[in-house]
Amino acid sequence: MTGPVRNWQFVTADWILPLDDFLNNPKLTDAGWYKFDDFYPALIAANRWNGKIGGGVGEGPIYSIPVLEESYIVAYRKDIFDQYNIKVPTTMEEMVEAARQVKKNAGIPGIVARGTPSAASIGTGYGSGLKSYTDGKWNEFDGKLNSSLHDPHAVEYTETWIAMVRESGPPNWANMQWYDAMEAFTAGQAGMIVDADFFAAGYEDPKKSKVAGKVGYALIPAGPGGKAYSGLFTWALGINKATRNKDAAWLFVEWATAQRTLLNATIGYRNYNPSRASITNDPRVQEIMGAWGGGSYLKTVVKNLETARVLWIPQPERTRTGDIWARGLHDIYFQRLSAADAFKKADSEIDKVLKEADIKP
Amino acid sequence: MTTTRNRRRWRQEAALPYLLLAPALVLLVGMVYPFCLGIYYSLTNYWLQYPKRFRFIWFDNYISLLSEPLFARALEFTLGFTAIAVVVQVGLGLAVALFLHARIPGRKAMRALMLLPLMMPPVITALMWKIMMASTNAGILNYMLSFIGVDPINWLGSTQGAVVSILIIDTWGNLPFVSLILLGALQALPTEPYEAARVDGASPIATLRYITLPLLAPFILLAVTFRTMDSLRVFDVIYATTMGGPNDATTNLQIMALQYSFQWYQMGKGMAQAIVLLLLVVVASAVLMRLWNRAAERTAQ
Repeated sequence: MTGPVRNWQFVTADWILPLDDFLNNPKLTDAGWYKFDDFYPALIAANRWNGKIGGGVGEGPIYSIPVLEESYIVAYRKDIFDQYNIKVPTTMEEMVEAARQVKKNAGIPGIVARGTPSAASIGTGYGSGLKSYTDGKWNEFDGKLNSSLHDPHAVEYTETWIAMVRESGPPNWANMQWYDAMEAFTAGQAGMIVDADFFAAGYEDPKKSKVAGKVGYALIPAGPGGKAYSGLFTWALGINKATRNKDAAWLFVEWATAQRTLLNATIGYRNYNPSRASITNDPRVQEIMGAWGGGSYLKTVVKNLETARVLWIPQPERTRTGDIWARGLHDIYFQRLSAADAFKKADSEIDKVLKEADIKP
Repeated sequence: MTTTRNRRRWRQEAALPYLLLAPALVLLVGMVYPFCLGIYYSLTNYWLQYPKRFRFIWFDNYISLLSEPLFARALEFTLGFTAIAVVVQVGLGLAVALFLHARIPGRKAMRALMLLPLMMPPVITALMWKIMMASTNAGILNYMLSFIGVDPINWLGSTQGAVVSILIIDTWGNLPFVSLILLGALQALPTEPYEAARVDGASPIATLRYITLPLLAPFILLAVTFRTMDSLRVFDVIYATTMGGPNDATTNLQIMALQYSFQWYQMGKGMAQAIVLLLLVVVASAVLMRLWNRAAERTAQ
């Protein structure tokens, strides 16, 4: 199992095989049956990389085939928003206000989010919001691979985000894993959550959820340009370079990512995060996912996938730099440092790591 | 005929000691080899995803630790946690042992109950507490505290809260161990000094202060030694609850070494941190063992 961030690490270390030769070999892959075009283009692009540190995602060889799709959207408690006349947020300012109103009126945290000091806390709601806040322009590194967290827009957005979490979030934000946040929302303990789209499968399952049928879905709050730029992630299957049975390994990958297998995974095993458009469009899947949020779920996700991209600049130390960034968020949350100072500190640590890893001159 | 039989017997007798030693030798090699490998790697820049750059760098990993702010914090937490955990656990453990040693009704059942936490895998203990420590009223701990008018406590989500929470969880899991050692010791103490004290009319407190504690000293030191070594390298409880957060407040040397080795794959650096921890444990246990020997001699006299 790999994915964009891991591929950057694995390719640099020379651990993983490019898959194009297998894909284009008619003896191994029946193109008409495999229907490679059926995968969402954004997911395929996420798994391509030309191997150049600092750029080139979406170009060059494909290193892994996506088995699931993950983009980031807002899920909110429609019942609470309707009852107290709260506006579904379209900007960051409105989101802060909505979270405040939920907490004030309904007495539960207005928003839950991942908060543990690890890269995973950066990658979903927080990171997508930051990208959207700057109309998709801001990157974590400049052209020379200098860490750019100290950028005024990033600092400003982060101050707003952390202030919102402190004011309206749960008291244990700093110790929340993805499943803690997801479960809090599913248990009716939060007004909003900005995280993986397919968490909806849990929210909408009446056997597990207290909020089934009460959830609405919306895009991440947009920046001045009015457009959302969500992050994108995908778990995908790649092949180890050291394997002795390369063709057999590919045949397994091909089977595991075939339309029939993935359709069965969705319908038979409730994996509602299809990486192929034909599965999303299958009537049986439409019947289930199409009902979520009164139809708003599928509309939101399909729209989101038009602009969703991998948020990060490719480099093999991405997990490490994300961890440092997340620790910066803790410095701000616990008021040890101002946002500007915390990010200056994180920048210098990130630059140091990249130098030590010989990625940067 | 007889000579062949003798020779065969002689050969069997010569082989026997080696045969009996074999498991110990295998164990020794199994321990010494990874240990030496660990020391060797700590002197290299071994970084899993850059295998081609592997080289020997002498003590650079150790020197770079000095300029690593997280190392200072982790060292501070490791030592501070150990000091507090040992004092609390041995103190409470002694109290529990004295209580269970007294002639009270139902003490057999209580002794059996006391052992329960020892039977739980530490990770399960930690996860159980993590669920109970949920920060809203959904957490059973805060729910129960609400009956006595205590506001919800932010157990694992605040920096101080997380430190205290981990102390509580670790204490819950290890208190029985200390109590067990001290209870066993109490039951084995000679009865004569107590009879003499009773004849002299000594108060219970004087008996505790001048007879029980001095006689128990070697056992208390034994418990302190075990708990010090374990607390210096506590891992499971932290890993299962906070992973070292929030804001690195519960990152000790173990957690830090794990992050460097298996999250960021800098094996050389991670190994150097583990070796520093090992030195700490060795020094602490050497000092404590010497104190223990001295106390044991004194009691023997």
